[in-house]
Amino acid sequence: MKLIENIPDRKLLLFKSCMVSHEYPGVESATRYVFDRLGIDYLVNDEQSCCTGIGHYTDLFEGLTTAAIAARNFAVARRCGYPNITCLCSTCYAVNKEACELLNTNDEVRDKVNSVFREQGLDDLVYEKGDMNPRTNFYHAVEILLSKADRIREEKQLDFAGTRAAAHHACHYYKVKYLDVVGNPENPQLIDTIAAACGAFPVRWYEDRTLTCGMGFSQLHLNKNTSLQVTKTKLDSLQRAGVELMLHMCPNCHIQYDRYQPVIEREFGVEYDMVHMNIAQFVALSMGADPYKVCGFQTHSVPLEGFLEKAGII
Amino acid sequence: MMPLMPHVNGYDTPECKTLAETAKKSIRTPTSLGLDRCIQCGACTASCPAARFTDYNPRQLVKKVQENDRSVLESEMIWACFYCYSCNLRCPRNNSPVTIVQVLRQMAINEGIGLERLEYFMEIGEVLAENGASKVPGPGVRNMEKDLGEHWIGFKRNLESIRAELGLGPKDVRNTNGEVRAILEGTGYFEREKWIKGKLQEKRLHEFLNVRCEKNEDKSGEFGFETDREYPGQEAFIV
Ligand code: SF4
Ligand code: SF4
Repeated sequence: MKLIENIPDRKLLLFKSCMVSHEYPGVESATRYVFDRLGIDYLVNDEQSCCTGIGHYTDLFEGLTTAAIAARNFAVARRCGYPNITCLCSTCYAVNKEACELLNTNDEVRDKVNSVFREQGLDDLVYEKGDMNPRTNFYHAVEILLSKADRIREEKQLDFAGTRAAAHHACHYYKVKYLDVVGNPENPQLIDTIAAACGAFPVRWYEDRTLTCGMGFSQLHLNKNTSLQVTKTKLDSLQRAGVELMLHMCPNCHIQYDRYQPVIEREFGVEYDMVHMNIAQFVALSMGADPYKVCGFQTHSVPLEGFLEKAGII
Repeated sequence: MMPLMPHVNGYDTPECKTLAETAKKSIRTPTSLGLDRCIQCGACTASCPAARFTDYNPRQLVKKVQENDRSVLESEMIWACFYCYSCNLRCPRNNSPVTIVQVLRQMAINEGIGLERLEYFMEIGEVLAENGASKVPGPGVRNMEKDLGEHWIGFKRNLESIRAELGLGPKDVRNTNGEVRAILEGTGYFEREKWIKGKLQEKRLHEFLNVRCEKNEDKSGEFGFETDREYPGQEAFIV
């Protein structure tokens, strides 16, 4: 288990995510806003590339390419002196952490990756065993927020008292490297605890809480009906639990729920009352951030205006 | 027969005598993989979203791998997994059906199975090489446009100005100095892409010719390659 007191607040490389950038850029700007307000020492580095996750989990990329791309990003992180890779996306988190473990433990793959670097004239990317530590150099932004829950409580300007909020913890955060989760991977409470610090009422348990979002990488695209059935199952359960706000920590889940909720309503003839946002957007809002200029809600599909009006924000 | 084109995924699918050995040696699975320790308890299947909504069954799949039943590679079943890792979390024996499925899919790919699925996502490779960032591939964008309609298309059109308003760079293009492309070249990823495309073309030509042969059974002179112009080719990608 990861201990909350060991979560760093210095030298964090805020790892850019392709799906955040293309779909919910407000997640990045809101995270930066909150990190700035909390005085966290972080850096965004444009030299960092994507983790390959989308290609890796659609079976297009093989393990060697994924490991080599990860090794390059580790070199970027070390070179700029911000070696604590802090992800906005749960898949970036899992891919990087696993690649680090592989590079440290599999000499053959590490040698192969390094020989690729040398052949391509990229000697400064060479990865030596132990250059990064899979347990102490990899974080999800939500862990950083959790470690600052007390500060968030002090900093909050708006109180979401009474807002019934439920968390969807992302599978690739707590089911891949399940021994390295803050808390119990059978019942992760990171988002709930942060939401409570913002004054919301966390609905800590609902049926199918640990069910996946349904995106399933290729499944949304190639088996859409099954994919949406999974998503619908969870939305149904949230509706029964009277949830108004669903909080996310991964752009893939966020797409699945926010973008496809209206599609499910149309295709399955149902109606839902909840709205969606990333936990960093929620924390930023509670600190008084602008819903459009910081949180970027204009890119969301399920309109948030009703929720913002009720909270007295607009 | 050894394939002419390297598959590049040799570390994902090390050649071994049995499926189980390949799965254990693959870099897709954890080194501690408890495949031999599986007690067929079914906790994986009970946790599995794919099992809940389809005929897929990870417990059974693990059994087939243990029995070295290579027919699993041809089974549609292996393509139903969500890669959600619920089975990975829940298995009491440290087995990991999800990562075994990843190995099986790579093995199936090597036999030319499932390539149409890869084609759907193929654009990601070139986009990553060029921009250092991934994106939803062209066919995915078209499907999302159909599903999500005007609002989504409209915001996509304004993405640059929205990003600027949020204090972010106008486009998600990373400054990788061509290093990502060099890496994809060095690992052989582009060879793999070429191999997949070639295989698909071969397959389609075959199917096409078969259809023509059936249609034109009584005619003569219609079998040649001149009919190639009717081959629709691969769907164009929208970038
Ligand atoms: S949960 Fe593990 S031990 Fe049980 S059937 Fe599945 S793979 Fe086997
Ligand atoms: S990862 Fe695949 S096999 Fe495992 S529970 Fe999820 S869908 Fe089922």
